[in-house]
Amino acid sequence: MSIVRNAQGKEIRAKNKGFFRTLFSQWQLMVMSVPMLLYVLLFNYGPMWGWVTAFQDYKPKLGMLGSKFVGLKNFEWLFTRQDFINSIRNTLAMSVINLVFGTVSSILLAILLNEVRNRGFKRTVQTVTYLPHFLSMVIVVGMAQNIFSSNGAVNALLMNLGLVREPVFFLGEGKYFWWLVGVINVWKEVGWNTIIYISAMTAIDPCLYEAASIDGAGRFHKIMNVTLPGIRSTFVILLIMNIGHLMEAGFEIQYLLGSSVVMDWSQTIDVFVLQYGISKQQYGVATAAGMFKSIVAIILLVSANAISRRLGEDTLI
Amino acid sequence: MKKFLAAFLALAMIASLLPAALADGGLEPITLTVFRGDPGDQPDENNKIYKLIEEEFGIKFEFEFLAGDLDETLGLKIANEDYPDLFDGGNSADLIINNGALINLLDYISPEKTPRLWAHIEPQKARIIEKDAEGNDVLYIIPNYGLGEGEQIANEINGPAFFVQKQVLEWAGYPQIKTLNQYFDVLEKFLAANPTDENGSPYIGFDILCEDWRHFCLINPVQHLMGRPNDGEVLVDVSTPEYKTETFIDKPYAKAYYKKLNEEFHKGLISKDTFVMNYDQYIAQISSGTVLGMFDQTWDFGNATNALRTAKMDNKTYIALGLVYDPEYVDGKEIEEHYLNGSVPNIRRGFGISVNCKCPERIIAMWEEMLSEKWQLIFNWGIEGEDYYVENGRLLMTKEQFAQTQDSTWQKANKARAFFESSPKRQGWILEGEFAGNCWEPGNQPEIYFDQMTDYDKAFLSAYGYQKPADFVNPPIQLAPYGEAWQIDYTPVDIEHQDFLNIQDKRLPEMIMCDPAEFDAKWDAFVEEITPSATAFGDFMQQAILKEAAKVDPNVVLPE
Repeated sequence: MSIVRNAQGKEIRAKNKGFFRTLFSQWQLMVMSVPMLLYVLLFNYGPMWGWVTAFQDYKPKLGMLGSKFVGLKNFEWLFTRQDFINSIRNTLAMSVINLVFGTVSSILLAILLNEVRNRGFKRTVQTVTYLPHFLSMVIVVGMAQNIFSSNGAVNALLMNLGLVREPVFFLGEGKYFWWLVGVINVWKEVGWNTIIYISAMTAIDPCLYEAASIDGAGRFHKIMNVTLPGIRSTFVILLIMNIGHLMEAGFEIQYLLGSSVVMDWSQTIDVFVLQYGISKQQYGVATAAGMFKSIVAIILLVSANAISRRLGEDTLI
Repeated sequence: MKKFLAAFLALAMIASLLPAALADGGLEPITLTVFRGDPGDQPDENNKIYKLIEEEFGIKFEFEFLAGDLDETLGLKIANEDYPDLFDGGNSADLIINNGALINLLDYISPEKTPRLWAHIEPQKARIIEKDAEGNDVLYIIPNYGLGEGEQIANEINGPAFFVQKQVLEWAGYPQIKTLNQYFDVLEKFLAANPTDENGSPYIGFDILCEDWRHFCLINPVQHLMGRPNDGEVLVDVSTPEYKTETFIDKPYAKAYYKKLNEEFHKGLISKDTFVMNYDQYIAQISSGTVLGMFDQTWDFGNATNALRTAKMDNKTYIALGLVYDPEYVDGKEIEEHYLNGSVPNIRRGFGISVNCKCPERIIAMWEEMLSEKWQLIFNWGIEGEDYYVENGRLLMTKEQFAQTQDSTWQKANKARAFFESSPKRQGWILEGEFAGNCWEPGNQPEIYFDQMTDYDKAFLSAYGYQKPADFVNPPIQLAPYGEAWQIDYTPVDIEHQDFLNIQDKRLPEMIMCDPAEFDAKWDAFVEEITPSATAFGDFMQQAILKEAAKVDPNVVLPE
C-alpha cells in the first residue's frame, strides 16, 4: 500500500507524505478509477433514491414527489401477512440448501477431477458437466417437469426398483419442493462452480504432493492434508460472498417450477414481490420488500466476514 | 471497393426515401407502436392487408405481443410510463385505465365528426360510455367484440362449458348428457372399456387446468351448474331488481362439485399431474387426443382443436355440454341450464390510444374509415377473387379458400389479425347495401358454416337430430342489465381478490386429492380461511353490479 510506482517506473515512498500529495502522485491511478466510481454512483447509489417509495403509497401517475407518505405502513402490511413470512422462510431454506448442496458437490467433483490423470477424460467430463450452465432455466425446468412427473423417468425407476408402490407426486407436494430446487440447481451449476476450485487446486505447489508421498501418504491422505487445505481460502471467500446472497434463492426456478398447489413452499420473496407488488401495482410494498432484503443481506455479509476474521481466516472486506 | 460501397450506400439512401415520396394524400407516413395483451404471431413483412393499410392511410405498425404474465408486463409499463400508441391491455385493461395511460376517445368521437364509429357504439352506449371519478363521460376503449348487428348468431358455444370428446358419446350410443352425474358416468364407462387409445397411450378422464389466470377451469364451473352464464366468481340472482350477489365457492352447493371431483379422483379419472400442468402441456395433452373431458372455454383450446382437425382426429374433437347439478345435490331442486348468454359487448377490451400517442386523430380517422363495408370485407373476407368470390349477391369461399383462412402460416401473410382483433369491428349480419343478408364473418356465413362441416361432424349432429353444436344447450337468454360480472373492474379490492383466488388455487386441488374421509374437515377449514376475502370481494361486487345495472334498469335502487 505504501509503495507505488510513478509513471517513470521509479519507486516512490508515499507513506510519510500528506494525503493530497499521495493523491496527486498517484493521479494516473485516480484517473483510471474515475469511470468505475461513476459507474457505481450512477447505477448502484443513484437508484437508491427510489427507496423513498418504500414509505409512500406510490402511484406512477403522481410520481415520487406527488405520492402520499404513509410511514411504515408498507412494512406493516408485509410483516402481518403469513404468506410473506412463508416466503422469507422459503427463501432462506432454499438458499441454504443450494449453498450446501452446491458447495459440497462442486468441491467433490473438483477433487475427483483433480485426481484424474488422463487429460482427455478430465476435459470431457468438465465440459459435459458445465454445459447445463448455459441452458435457460425455462428449458431446465421443462425437462425437470417431465423427468419428475408421475409417469416420468424418476418415478419409473423408483417403481421398477420396487422402492415405491405408487408414483411419488414430486411436483405437487410442498415437502419435496425445496429439495427438488436444490437437486436441479446442482445439476445445472455443478460443473460451472467446479472451475474455480479446480483453478485453486492447480495453484497448489506440486512439491507438497511429492513431499507427502515421500512421507508415505496415500491418495486419500493427500486429498485431506494437501488439496483441501490448499483450497481453504478460496472456499472461505466464496462462502462469505454466498452468504451475502442468501436472500437471493433465485427467482426463475421457483416461478417456473412452482404451481398453486405448492405455493406455500415455493414462493420466494422475489416471486411474492412480483405477484403483490408489480402485478397489483403496490410499488411501495415492492420497494419495501426489496429494501428489507438488501438490509438483511448487508447484515449477513458483515457478520460472516466478522466471524471469519475472528477465526483467523481470510476476509473479503 | 470503396467506390462500390459508396454507390451502394447512396442507393440505399434513395431507396429509403422512396416510400415517403410515394405516400400520397399529403399524409406523412407514420409507424405506430402497438401492444397486444395476449400472445400472438408477428405478421410477415409483405403481409398484403397491412400493405393496403399503408397505401391508403400511410400507417405502419410495430407489434409487441405479450410474453409472460399480463399483470406483470402492464405493471412494468405503467411504472416506466412506457406506453405504445395503440394499447391493448387484454383482460387487465382496468390497470392501464386507472393509471391514466389512455386518452378519452369521446374528445374525438361524435355523431358529426365520426358518424360510423358513433353508429357503431350508439345502441350500447349506456354501457360502453362510463363515468369517471369526476362524473364526466368517458370512453377509453371501443369494445373489440360483441357489438353485433341483427339477430344474435349462436352456432357454437364459444364460451364456458363442460367438454367431452365426440367419440365418447358415439361409443355410448349418443345419450343425452344434461347433469353432472350423467357426465362423469359416461366418462367412467368409456374409460373402463377403453383404457388406452389405438396407439396404446392411456386416456385421461378429466383434465383441470389450474395455471395462473386460466384457473377458471377449476374455480368457475359451480355457477354454471347452478344455471347461470359466466359471471366470473360470483353468483347473481337476476330474478329480482336487488340482484343479490354472492361468492359461490364457499357455499354448500359448491362443496357438492368438489366432493364429486374427489370421488372421481379416487376412481382414477383425474390425474395428479393436472394440478401442476402449465398451459402448453395442457394444450399438448388435448392435441394428442387422449383427454376425454374437461371444463374450459372453447377459445381457450382453439389451437388444440385445430391440431386435432389437422391430424384428422375429428372423433376426438369436443362437443360442449351444458351441465347442471342433479337435483340430489341441491335439495331436490330442478335447475334450468343457461350457458349461452345474450351477446355481450366486450367492454374495456381492445385497443385504447395511449397518452403518449402523437396522432390520435389519424387513428380515429382510420378506424372511422375502416368501419365501412369495403374495409370490413377486406379484414374479414380478404381480397375479392383471391380469397373469396361473389355469386348472386352472396359472399362465398371455396373449401380450399376457407381452409387456408384457418392456417396460421397463411394468416401471417394474408390477414391483419394482430391489428384487426383488437380494433372496433362489425359483427353479425350485414343489414344494408348490396350484400345485405350476408354475415360479416365468413365462419358464420350459413353456406360456409354448414357446407364445410366435416362429414364426421355432420353424422354426429344428425345422430342427435341437431343442426349445429349449439343445439346441445338452451338458446341464449337475455343479457342481464349489468352485462357479465367478470367484466366489472375490481381493482379497488385487488388485494382481497388476489387472496380470494390464491386460497382457492391452493386448497381446491388439495381437497380434490385428499382422502375422502378427510374431505368434510378440509372443506370446513377452507370455508373458514376464505370467508374474510370472500366477504370483502362479494360485498364489493354486490355494489358494483347494482351500479352497473342501474345504468340500464330503472327499477334498481342504489343503496346509500
